[in-house]
Amino acid sequence: MYHGPSTAALYSEIVDLSGGLSSGPARGDEMGDGGHPITSLVDAAVSGDEPAWRELVDRYTPLLASVLRRFGLGATETQDVAQTVWLRVVEHLGSRREPQALPSWLISIAKREALRCVSDWQRSVPYDPLDPSWLPSATEGAEPDADLLRAERHEALLAGLAELSARQREFLILLTADPPLSYAQISERARIPRAASGRPGPGRWAGSGGLSLSRPTWPAGSWPGTRQPAWTVPPSATRMDRERGIWDDAPLG
Amino acid sequence: MTHRWDDDQHLLDDLSDALREARHASAIAAYGKGAYAWRTIDEELLLASLSFDSLLEQVQQRRSGPDDERVLVFTASPLSVELEVRPGQIAGRIIPQGAGEIRVEAADGVTFHIEADDAGFFTLPGAVRGLIRLRCDTATARLVTDWVRL
Repeated sequence: MYHGPSTAALYSEIVDLSGGLSSGPARGDEMGDGGHPITSLVDAAVSGDEPAWRELVDRYTPLLASVLRRFGLGATETQDVAQTVWLRVVEHLGSRREPQALPSWLISIAKREALRCVSDWQRSVPYDPLDPSWLPSATEGAEPDADLLRAERHEALLAGLAELSARQREFLILLTADPPLSYAQISERARIPRAASGRPGPGRWAGSGGLSLSRPTWPAGSWPGTRQPAWTVPPSATRMDRERGIWDDAPLG
Repeated sequence: MTHRWDDDQHLLDDLSDALREARHASAIAAYGKGAYAWRTIDEELLLASLSFDSLLEQVQQRRSGPDDERVLVFTASPLSVELEVRPGQIAGRIIPQGAGEIRVEAADGVTFHIEADDAGFFTLPGAVRGLIRLRCDTATARLVTDWVRL
């Protein structure tokens, strides 16, 4: 459940692909007819449409990977936790009343399962209260709040990315490639006419037949002015809640 | 109030950071796609959620050791299941008590059956580990538990 502004509302505004680029809407991209892309994908997946589920997985894998990374798990543990998370999501998908809340739900399941994995590891090691490795990982950094805010920024961006069309996502991923791609390479890979993409900078992709990247608009005084996504951590969450990631209404377990 | 994302380049820089840190993505996606095969489509089947796991309680209290038992409770209405996991032994109980048939499903594809006695007690081979769930069929109801990694 969202505790504040919907990421859908925020991020559907991030990128606007103008006409003439797409070869037709991909699955789940039917924004124009009033349907939310995630809602329609969830509905389809619940009713047995496996390609819709695969599309959801593709969209939300970066978000899940980003959340799990915070727990410092190894590759095997990360994959083990991810498998549990996906199985949990598949099983509960049909009982979710708010398909648009899928990202916040996914985040909370991932945190809980990662914590379970960390707990299992910790109990296999004799407890030494003087051993600094027993400190909770969330407080290891010199600036835990800064780390937390940074992680939440990433989660918000990746949740937003998941709601964009495949083509929009592809374009943003090209724009953020590391090492950076040249604009000629981006034009070629995104199949955008050179004339439309010939000037550097995402804000300059506007133009007929080209791309425009509009910045999101936020209600005055709300996140991100307060720097903290309200739907991730409600004010009532205690510090321990914040560190453990248990402030939401995801299914237990 | 301005925000760092008011600047497109900051927005893209942050997105770039976020994507760079999203590791193991291909393996994670593969597990996600494979998960669909385990989807339960039986509407009569109760879904028993993992409502208690002593592992998560113990980590707060910092008192658990490798030999401690782990207690798991899967809750549905009107049927629930408890598991006590110890090294070499896994005992379970159906609540309310009653006989039943239990199918253990492991995510690696292995399944086997066991029986719960009239008091609802059952025992799993201690070697059962990994990602599993239980399907319980009793006179009261049928349920499937959440997946859990033992």
